[in-house]
Amino acid sequence: MRIPCPYCGERDAHEFSYLGDATLTRPDPAAPDAPDRFFDYVYLRDNPAGAHQEWWYHAYGCRQWVKVERNTLTHAIAGARLARDARDAAGDAAGNVPGDAP
Amino acid sequence: MSRLAKGGLIDRARSLAFTFDGRSYGGHAGDTLASALLANDVRLVGRSFKYHRPRGIVSAGAEEPNALVELRAGARREPNTRATVAELFDGLEAQSQNRWPSLDLDLLSVNQLLSPFLGAGFYYKTFMWPAAFWEKVYEPIIRRAAGLGRMAEAADPDPYEKASTFCDVLVIGAGPAGLMAALAAGRAGARVILADEDFLAGGRLNAETREIDGKPAAEWAARVTAELASLPNVRLMTRTTVFGVYDSGTYGALERVADHLPVPPPFQPRQRLWRIHARRAVLAAGATERPIVFGGNDRPGVMLAGAVRTYVNRFAVAPGHRVAVFANNDDAWRGALEIKAAGIEVAAIVDVRKAVAASLVQQAKAKGIRTLLDGRVTATHGKRLTAVDIVADGRTERLAVDTLAVSGGWSPNVHLTCHHGGKPAWDEAIAAFVPGIVPPLLAVAGAASGAFSLGAALTDGAAQGAEAAEALGFPVPLPDVPAVAEESVAITPFWHVADSRGPAFVDLQNDVTAKDITIAYKEGFRSVEHLKRYTTLGMATDQGRTSNVTGLAIMASLTGASIPETGTTIFRPPYTPVSLGALGGHHRGKDFRAVRLTPTHEWAKARGAVFIETGAWLRAQYFPRPGETDWLESVNREVKAVRASVGLIDVSTFGKIDLQGPDVGTLLDRLYINTFSTLAIGKARYGVMLREDGLVMDDGTTARLGAEHYVMTTTTANAAKVYQHLEFCLQVLWPQLDVSIASVSEQWAQIALAGPRARDVLARVVDAGVDVSNDGLPFMGAIEGTVLGGVKARLFRLSFSGELGFEIAVPARHGAALAQALMSAGEAFGITPYGIEALGVMRIEKGHVSGNELSGQTTARDLGFGRMASTKKDYIGRVMAGRPGLVDPQRPTFVGFKPVDPSQRLRAGAHFLKIGAAASLENDEGYMTSVAHSPHLGHWIGLGLLQRGPERIGERVRAYDPVRGGDIEVEICAPGFIDPEGERLRG
Amino acid sequence: MADHSSHPLDTLPFDAVATAGHYGVAGTLGVTARRIDGLSIATLAARKGDDDALAEAVRGALGLELPRASRAVFAGARTLIGTAPGRWLALSGLDRDIAGTLRAALGPLAAITDQSDAVVTLDLTGPKVADTLAKGALIDLDPRVFLPGMAATTVLAHIGITLWRREEATWRLLVARSFEAALLRFLVSSAAEYGFELDDRG
Repeated sequence: MRIPCPYCGERDAHEFSYLGDATLTRPDPAAPDAPDRFFDYVYLRDNPAGAHQEWWYHAYGCRQWVKVERNTLTHAIAGARLARDARDAAGDAAGNVPGDAP
Repeated sequence: MSRLAKGGLIDRARSLAFTFDGRSYGGHAGDTLASALLANDVRLVGRSFKYHRPRGIVSAGAEEPNALVELRAGARREPNTRATVAELFDGLEAQSQNRWPSLDLDLLSVNQLLSPFLGAGFYYKTFMWPAAFWEKVYEPIIRRAAGLGRMAEAADPDPYEKASTFCDVLVIGAGPAGLMAALAAGRAGARVILADEDFLAGGRLNAETREIDGKPAAEWAARVTAELASLPNVRLMTRTTVFGVYDSGTYGALERVADHLPVPPPFQPRQRLWRIHARRAVLAAGATERPIVFGGNDRPGVMLAGAVRTYVNRFAVAPGHRVAVFANNDDAWRGALEIKAAGIEVAAIVDVRKAVAASLVQQAKAKGIRTLLDGRVTATHGKRLTAVDIVADGRTERLAVDTLAVSGGWSPNVHLTCHHGGKPAWDEAIAAFVPGIVPPLLAVAGAASGAFSLGAALTDGAAQGAEAAEALGFPVPLPDVPAVAEESVAITPFWHVADSRGPAFVDLQNDVTAKDITIAYKEGFRSVEHLKRYTTLGMATDQGRTSNVTGLAIMASLTGASIPETGTTIFRPPYTPVSLGALGGHHRGKDFRAVRLTPTHEWAKARGAVFIETGAWLRAQYFPRPGETDWLESVNREVKAVRASVGLIDVSTFGKIDLQGPDVGTLLDRLYINTFSTLAIGKARYGVMLREDGLVMDDGTTARLGAEHYVMTTTTANAAKVYQHLEFCLQVLWPQLDVSIASVSEQWAQIALAGPRARDVLARVVDAGVDVSNDGLPFMGAIEGTVLGGVKARLFRLSFSGELGFEIAVPARHGAALAQALMSAGEAFGITPYGIEALGVMRIEKGHVSGNELSGQTTARDLGFGRMASTKKDYIGRVMAGRPGLVDPQRPTFVGFKPVDPSQRLRAGAHFLKIGAAASLENDEGYMTSVAHSPHLGHWIGLGLLQRGPERIGERVRAYDPVRGGDIEVEICAPGFIDPEGERLRG
Repeated sequence: MADHSSHPLDTLPFDAVATAGHYGVAGTLGVTARRIDGLSIATLAARKGDDDALAEAVRGALGLELPRASRAVFAGARTLIGTAPGRWLALSGLDRDIAGTLRAALGPLAAITDQSDAVVTLDLTGPKVADTLAKGALIDLDPRVFLPGMAATTVLAHIGITLWRREEATWRLLVARSFEAALLRFLVSSAAEYGFELDDRG
């Protein structure tokens, strides 16, 4: 499989390591239901047949985390964005900052 | 000799000598082993897999089910090589397989008499009882009786290689369609790769006597091939089989660089595995002829009609001197006419059809060939074929022939189109499976798509090649398609002569008969997947090239369903076998994976170090001295020397990560369970980091070198993982943190100096003004300075051994010089280099955790770090570490052990049981993680995880190790066996 | 039948850096690898803040434009390689301590880390460089595609490298110091059929 790294260009999947679902957001550790939410965050995964957003780390290239949209049935890749750009585009502040918690 | 006096694409000027079963023969350049054997009248080439029936050559290509031989000798012996694709070379040695004692007299052909018992499902029916007999009796007998060739018993001496290449258009197959496709795309300027498994491009053009543009087709093929070879943007790869279609336009191909030579030319590989990345591909893999099944159809002399034609036209070999043709299609008639034109007697064409195009019948008759319509072959005779029985017009006749050329029609080579899961579709018009849903950006052209006529192949190939190039932005006018005469390709499906006599083989390689399919049908194994597994149809190394469709058709006729309703088998990579050597390439033996060498490797080697692989690293395990005969003796000496005076070890393999920026402290507080933001400049602190699931990920020491500058140490094993984790935190979790990280693992050589005299030694290598006294560099201090006269260095006061210890980091090129300088400086103290065995002993004596304890299953609390965890901040893994199961007081917890009888040896992996408790899973209380022989204490010591361990100090438990027969009593103790107060390291 | 038992890897210790000399086919030279010593090397990472100010400061300090992609730019004996968004490698045969030079010039605009000892630098020349690298790399190194000035951080025979084409005939490769021996084994093995010269004069 070849992954279009936004910085390096198309690269073989061997250069990457795979993490998984890129739609998850680290829960607020200060929330009252933090244990339940962390359990979901760490363990619960959808298993979509089709389009899937996933994190790939370009270990042997630019060392960037890349959000890849891959079809799990065909391995066709619809797009890839750097983590930083993916966040900007989404406009979210995912990744709760513990220090910011009240 | 059966070599024709003229014709063929062999080089008669170049004679080649070869042997088969020890006898010498001659052939020519351009021959395959099969064509050369036939030219020498060798008809019997092997014994069949199960029944040991005599077998001859059936085909002229990759589909060959019978003619499997052992090629070459000694370490290069290669079993199960298809003689039909083995290119002849001078000195070639081949042996027939699966016969004993000889090919002509095979005593195991007695299996034929047992054939009533060896039919479909015989493995399942015959060897049911008793179970113990399987391994000891049945399997060895079966392995002796049924089988293929012998592997070489020595390592393959030849190198293999892997390589990548990229192109715009990959054309698979260099027959008429492939040549036109490559020509269209190549002339347009696209980067083209044209690959063909044969050593001669042209495909069927070399096997038939057609004309293209008024010239012999083979000449046209040679001219086009020459033009392609002259184009700088076209790469012609003959002897190269594209065997798999993978994701994203990646194709696997095997180039047989030197299989056609006795040994590879100097420094060249035998084979090269290609990873071809193509933006578009055209599959022009042609078609494979299939037989008609009838009794006695495996007799040597029964061949595929196209193969007979190929041997005659391409190799100028007469496979026989009196040939009959048995067919259901027009193409076989043209073959018969070509065979006749070469001067070989064609006794008759037997066609199952009642009506055949008048022009074909007239042409045959004009050449004096008998034509028998509505006919079939019902039996064959002779050890090597001497006659066939024919029924036509209701009359039976025995026809004396030595060769029967059979054609049941052609199956497009759709294999590669299935590699993404697509299933072929049945095309009634040509009675064959054609490509169904094909992999993206791959087009199919010519016979592979079901376009069987030569004219259609040329037109289709040109169109697909042009379209592929055009889609990539190479505008191209369609090349002129050369003129060829139209031919008819009519066929009437016909699979099996049901009223024939003798075993009728469907799968020649696995000895599966039509009767086996009937048995499978009767016993309910009717789906194609059941049929395959119950009878082994199509499961041999030829993957059922010549048998799958026929087997399916016979099952369909039994069930009354259509062929598409009955199904098809999916083809998976590889298209033809790929050697493991090619898959490994450069990476075999010591090159299996790249080895990493420490900065002091040569220095340690010169001191006689014994090395051990730890991950990719090669590290000094211990440094034996003359007279030491046992590794333990060396390790004990090294440990004692460090504890008594001073020693040194290279610890450069630890991961080292430079962190800079105003938010480093914040980041570290979120990574480690303990706090780093408050760490003073010039100090280091031991830290433990968790995974988000609450289990320990890694540990190590992180030092603060400046207000916004820290350097982190990771374990050797987790260096890359921790770096990746940091990038995840900074890029995904908390991108607002202003932190830059850089791996400096390779930049710094780091040497640990340990022992009561460590400071005395260090003081002699640091430059003037660098204070390494207890005040200048206190325990857990970290300072920058210079050593060896101006070499910048980082000095840490750390200890893994429990002794007064320092780690000195210098730029890597100075690592060996530093080691040498320390040795000189320590000479007066008897300084001793030690390896990771001694390091391990000392850390166990000191009670430090290491890789065995950081197993991915332990919490910080399990390892005794519970109180280290900050309660004033969040950190990765904090929430999940609070799960009830992870804070259960019953969890096995880190503690030390010593044998009650000091003479007894401890073993890591032993499980703990209460004294008197039965050895059962319910009674399991934990296990020993690390053990060492402590030279300090004079007996074995251990570390481990035991339920409520720290509360049970002084209690005795049983250390039970059934794997190695260990069962001893041990006493629970605190994990620090030496200097538990830490006076030595603070001294 | 003559056999060749003289594959260069057979006599090359697997745990030693190959020594200078000619390997493989005699009388031809497909690839020459020359070890380049004495370069001062540093990684440069943009800190959060003003990218334009950083570019301006780098221009002033090195006379080079920061490449925004995986490219190499040169000025005299100084080279800048883009390795990731906001990260570069700086190499200099001119500055004794490029890290120090950059630190002084860029201040808080960037994090600078000395890597002079972390990597080994090899210059590869000869008609068969691309063919040799294709035996271990998984990117398109066709000289018609990978043009002078292009750079890639990638793998070669499972070893991480940074590679760029300095000029038509010269390719430069950085490999982590600990992998030098393994990488040279790969080059010796892969270039042997073309004739391979290892030159460590620096």
